Amino acid sequence: MAVEVILPRVDMDMATGKMGRWFVAEGERVAKGQLLFEIETDKAAMDIDAPAAGLLRGVCAQAGDILPVGSVVGWIVAPGEVFVVPVSAPQAGPTARASPAAAASQDEPTREAPGEGVRATPMARRLARECGAVLSEIVGSGPNGRVQARDIPARSGAFDLQARQRRAETPRQGGLHRLWLRQGEGAPLVFLHGFGADLNGWRPLLGHIRSRRPVLALDLPGHGQSPHSGEADLESLVEASAATLAQEQVSAAHLVGHSLGGAVASALAERRGFRALSLALIAPAGLGPAINGAFLAGFLQAGDEASLALWMRLLVTDAAALGPALVKTTLRQRAEAGVADAQRQIAQGLFPESAQAFSVRESLARLQCPAKIIFGGRDAIIAPDHAAGLPGLIAQHVFAGVGHLPHLEARREVARLIDELVAAGG
Amino acid sequence: MNQTTRELTYAQAIQEALAIAMAADERVFLMGEDIGVYGGAFQVTGDLVERFGEDRVMDTPISELGGAGVAIGAALTGMRPVYEFQFSDFSMLAMEQIVNQAAKLRYMLGGAVNVPVVFRMPTGSGLGGAAQHSQSIEAWFAHVPGLKVVAPSTPHDVKGMLLAAIADPDPVLIFEHKLLYKVKGPVPAGHYTVPLDKAQLRRPGRDLTIVATSIMSARAVEAAAILMGEGVEAEVIDLRALRPIDRPAVIASVKKTNRLLCVYEGVKTLGIGAEISAAIAESDAFDYLDAPILRLGGAEAPIPYSPGLEMAAVPQVGDIVAAARKLAGGRA
Repeated sequence: MAVEVILPRVDMDMATGKMGRWFVAEGERVAKGQLLFEIETDKAAMDIDAPAAGLLRGVCAQAGDILPVGSVVGWIVAPGEVFVVPVSAPQAGPTARASPAAAASQDEPTREAPGEGVRATPMARRLARECGAVLSEIVGSGPNGRVQARDIPARSGAFDLQARQRRAETPRQGGLHRLWLRQGEGAPLVFLHGFGADLNGWRPLLGHIRSRRPVLALDLPGHGQSPHSGEADLESLVEASAATLAQEQVSAAHLVGHSLGGAVASALAERRGFRALSLALIAPAGLGPAINGAFLAGFLQAGDEASLALWMRLLVTDAAALGPALVKTTLRQRAEAGVADAQRQIAQGLFPESAQAFSVRESLARLQCPAKIIFGGRDAIIAPDHAAGLPGLIAQHVFAGVGHLPHLEARREVARLIDELVAAGG
Repeated sequence: MNQTTRELTYAQAIQEALAIAMAADERVFLMGEDIGVYGGAFQVTGDLVERFGEDRVMDTPISELGGAGVAIGAALTGMRPVYEFQFSDFSMLAMEQIVNQAAKLRYMLGGAVNVPVVFRMPTGSGLGGAAQHSQSIEAWFAHVPGLKVVAPSTPHDVKGMLLAAIADPDPVLIFEHKLLYKVKGPVPAGHYTVPLDKAQLRRPGRDLTIVATSIMSARAVEAAAILMGEGVEAEVIDLRALRPIDRPAVIASVKKTNRLLCVYEGVKTLGIGAEISAAIAESDAFDYLDAPILRLGGAEAPIPYSPGLEMAAVPQVGDIVAAARKLAGGRA
């Protein structure tokens, strides 16, 4: 039985993907899990493994082709199996293939009937019809990129995701790069990443969060696609984040911060003009004196994938939690002009000589909203015992056998804790 | 009506319904193999022979074709027979009588006659009865116009549906899952009926609809309690009526939850779940589906004798939890 090889969604924003190289030629034998082809995204090339063992047949996408997520790009068949390209297949092939002319007109909304060739549930299609959304422009969060009801913007007029997205993507003076990762209703969740990461690091966790709130993620200054002001203290990070939230008209939110982002969230929580509804601090900085300086130095110095992978390995207990894509993405991001320098500067200002130059303990002592501190018991970057001595109302959750990235290594559990906070925080 | 309610087993509830019907109406009588002195293979008729006599609780020879034929003939003459198949599997011997005669005579004779017969169908797996005594063939009969087919899942419902079936002018098959016979539940005393064409909401929920039949609705309720702990709110609809099917109930629920899981013990392919799925696909609920419909049914195999395999051959609580989790997984 022929197994479809599908262009997967490797990035939640992704509606289409650009085919990169094939590592296996038509007719060649592949093992299950063997590197099969790559997808090029804005940020990185992602390696895609073979979904089954057998012979690669019927390759119908070539490097450079731009295809909708979920398109069939080939098949894997058993040796000796008679292979005929299934009749329903070509929809993903030639029509969607980006000829130079098609590529040029790619931004025009209606070359085909709206929604044709897009995987979408009947409900999503109905909602899209009702609100005039174009399905092919929507990123599906379901299996194989299937568009589901929750992906449809302006569902019953409650939330115009696309409008917010457009607003967010328009560069603004002083604003940080941010993305509405999910539509929803009510006060949003705001995600603040850790040092050296960017907002994309939250994506694996997102799928496990059941709350129907909108989700906004920021790139901290000097990270991801955010500019760096040149100042390297906690207050300027908090200031920039607060200004960005104000621009997004977010005056109350459930804050989720990881590591350095946890410190930013803690300080944000007591800022005037902003109301934190709940606070989830994942392996937060700013609670104790020390941080793994060797890691920071090594992480910042590593110039190639192999050495960066070695340092990033310290972030987790289970190497599998840290996919090659994350290392590649981190490296690619660092290659952007000014990012490496900015991060070095921030590290020097915030974490000089393996110390943490700031504390948020006082902020937490004054905290009014429900809060949880989530640590991995084997965090090699910030010791979990930093959470000792905090106010008794702040819950502490320690996941044994987990490292500095509980939101990756224990994502289901962390998502559940965040959902609990959202439920408690109103 | 000032009725008291007691805890009865499913089997006791059936016996009570039979006794009430026989006491109220002399035309009602029972037929079946070993239902008299022996009290029935599952002790459902119990001591009814002592209370109503051998003329009204008749042991029949081991010929389902003959027994069913006599019952149908009696119904044609104005009696209200209730015929017990010892195992529903044995009804295959009486197919001609049920499908060609009982289901069609009213139609063939232009409405000049009715066939008010009730067939009791002990059904399903779980008691080590092996392949020829454990089947769930209710869908076969639900395919036949002219028959009414029900599968009550609680003591309350089986009593009310049996009384409704006995009063009904047309042939009714009532499928009684053998594992349910010892299940207890509240049962009002006295006479009452439960409609033969209405599903029953067992548990409200917002994340997915589980449409289940017979014992599967009990398992679905159990699964829903587990799912609740994971934050998934499953709505459980006990179909109860298999012909006619209460389509509006299912459609309304799916429009609310946007997801559908069908659970039934009969073989999955061409079973009740296929009909429910198609009913949704054909209805306006289609445009409310936010995930593919899932079905959990019996294995494509005879029911095995080995207890472990017997369990594995039909949906269990864990299977329902896993399927519902998968279905609700994409829900924000």
